[in-house]
Amino acid sequence: MRSNPSDYEMTAPGSLRATLSLLASEPGAWLPIAGGTDVMVQYAAGKLAARKLVSIWNLPELRQIEVLAHEIRIGAGCTYTDLRRHEVVGREFPLLAAAARWTGGIANQNRGTIGGNIVNASPAADSLPALLAYGAELILVSVRGERHLPYISFHTGYKKTLLAQDELIQAVSLARQFSEYVSYARKAGARNAQAISKVCIAALGRTKNGIVDDVRIALGSVAPVPLRLHETEQAILGKRIDSPTLDRVREAVTAEIRPIDDIRSTARYRSAVAGNLVIEFLNRLSSQHSEVGRAKAPDVLSRWNFLPTDDAVNAILPCCGSKAWARGVAARRPFVNEEALLAASNEVWQGVPPSAWMEAFASHPRIGETGTIPSTPAQSRLWSTQEQQPVADADAAVRAALADANREYEQRFNRIFIVCASGRSPVEILGILKRRLKNDGDTELGEAAEQQRQITEIRLRKWLQQ
Amino acid sequence: MNDSRQSRAKAQISFTVNGEAKQVRVYPMERLLDVLRLELELTGAKEGCGEGECGSCSVLMDGALVNSCLVPALQAAGSSIITIEGMAKGDRLHVLQLAFLECGGAQCGICTPGMILAACHLLNRKPHPTIGDVREGLSGNLCRCTGYSQIVDAVLEAARRRLTA
Repeated sequence: MRSNPSDYEMTAPGSLRATLSLLASEPGAWLPIAGGTDVMVQYAAGKLAARKLVSIWNLPELRQIEVLAHEIRIGAGCTYTDLRRHEVVGREFPLLAAAARWTGGIANQNRGTIGGNIVNASPAADSLPALLAYGAELILVSVRGERHLPYISFHTGYKKTLLAQDELIQAVSLARQFSEYVSYARKAGARNAQAISKVCIAALGRTKNGIVDDVRIALGSVAPVPLRLHETEQAILGKRIDSPTLDRVREAVTAEIRPIDDIRSTARYRSAVAGNLVIEFLNRLSSQHSEVGRAKAPDVLSRWNFLPTDDAVNAILPCCGSKAWARGVAARRPFVNEEALLAASNEVWQGVPPSAWMEAFASHPRIGETGTIPSTPAQSRLWSTQEQQPVADADAAVRAALADANREYEQRFNRIFIVCASGRSPVEILGILKRRLKNDGDTELGEAAEQQRQITEIRLRKWLQQ
Repeated sequence: MNDSRQSRAKAQISFTVNGEAKQVRVYPMERLLDVLRLELELTGAKEGCGEGECGSCSVLMDGALVNSCLVPALQAAGSSIITIEGMAKGDRLHVLQLAFLECGGAQCGICTPGMILAACHLLNRKPHPTIGDVREGLSGNLCRCTGYSQIVDAVLEAARRRLTA
């Protein structure tokens, strides 16, 4: 049943001081609302018990990130978008930046706040394990003054916290001491955006001479509160990461978490995945290789390796418009890495008949223009525009000379002029075009094919980065 | 208490919608989505889920993409809102609207206003998006018709046209 707005009061005092006075004047009566991504959902469902709301959205005192010498203070009113865009957060606290990236979608990231996430106290929240791993401290404020609290003590039970009725979280403080640590974060969920995690992890570790000398592991969705795995950490500290350690660790994880069956997953699945995630983190730690924000576990190449053939062909056609080439490359899957893919692409390209080369040439716009045949994929058209940006920006005389030379080339060779435009100036391209007009047919076909090979290579690399 | 009854009353809220100054008298907890649709008769923003999951009520608030179903009216006071109705200039469609038409990015139309505003928010920040950027930028907007590929194509096509315009 939807709520009736006339049943609710709401006020926006506009300053932290006025908000705190209001909270103190009627303890427990006023519910703070920031970006509304939790409160408005309860309201829409007719489940919002509070009838009086005080808006703390965009209070300047709560929406700043202070970078101090030894700590960073993140205002409770900072949004996930604020966190994603902050340079120091991204560089020194990648676990938090990753969690901000995979919480909700863009619209919810623009409104949801870190303070709201903490007070909402969901055991499934993506950003809370990161705060546990970094050993965050909370700064709470009321008319009575300020108090500092280790974040780990804040959640006392399912959706229960130590926040007093007249208090707000003012800021979260993180010590700037983890930039040398190996970071690891993963979210296991139905999808990256919007979906709430079945299990999520944030972990940090440091080794010296092969021995683990500090480790911090926190999990979400495995207990009534976001959980730091102290006992599991004890099974790792001071040890080498070898297979007896890993066996003990898996047992420790299972013993320490308290997952449940619910709408999103089962206790059994969560327990298995939690163990896998911790083991994967320790593998990364032993190879000193951070892995953060890779919620889409497989990268472009490993996903593409196992796509159905037609999908695999379509995926690489924007890199080179020849279907024979795309089918040939797709048929040679799987590839272990970029080098193997590029080597196969070159081989296939040299082996296809000239008619396949012509098909690839025809998918490009003329140099200096943007129009293509209709079958050219949108990604290919966008890449062409980007590759040719300097030509589009060239002065009118150069563009006119290119247009004339293009016409001459097309009359002479009966196809469009192909050149790998990336990194070449418009004048340079004009020079190449005039030189190649003097080629005989075979030489020119070879040159054009080589240019297409270079374009394909550049585009395959771009595609792999996506 | 008299005091309490007063604060439950409607409030005068001023804001800018698609460049025009607007004043409405609404309850402070009324959803921005309802204010737009019922008070201002701007019915482009749609209600899908009503809980911030589907993105069909997306609008820009001070340039930021938001779900208007999760914004209480009082929090929109003083802001500048852009809805789908503010995208075209007279009879001239926005480049995103043209690209959606031409690439088959719209079918039943319920998600389209939100998709276009989410895409607009993305291109304002990233004029050279990759497919991955587009998918992430639209990840909070659900479509039950197109299967998304045409929508992604439309956004890439609009990005290309903006660069060449």
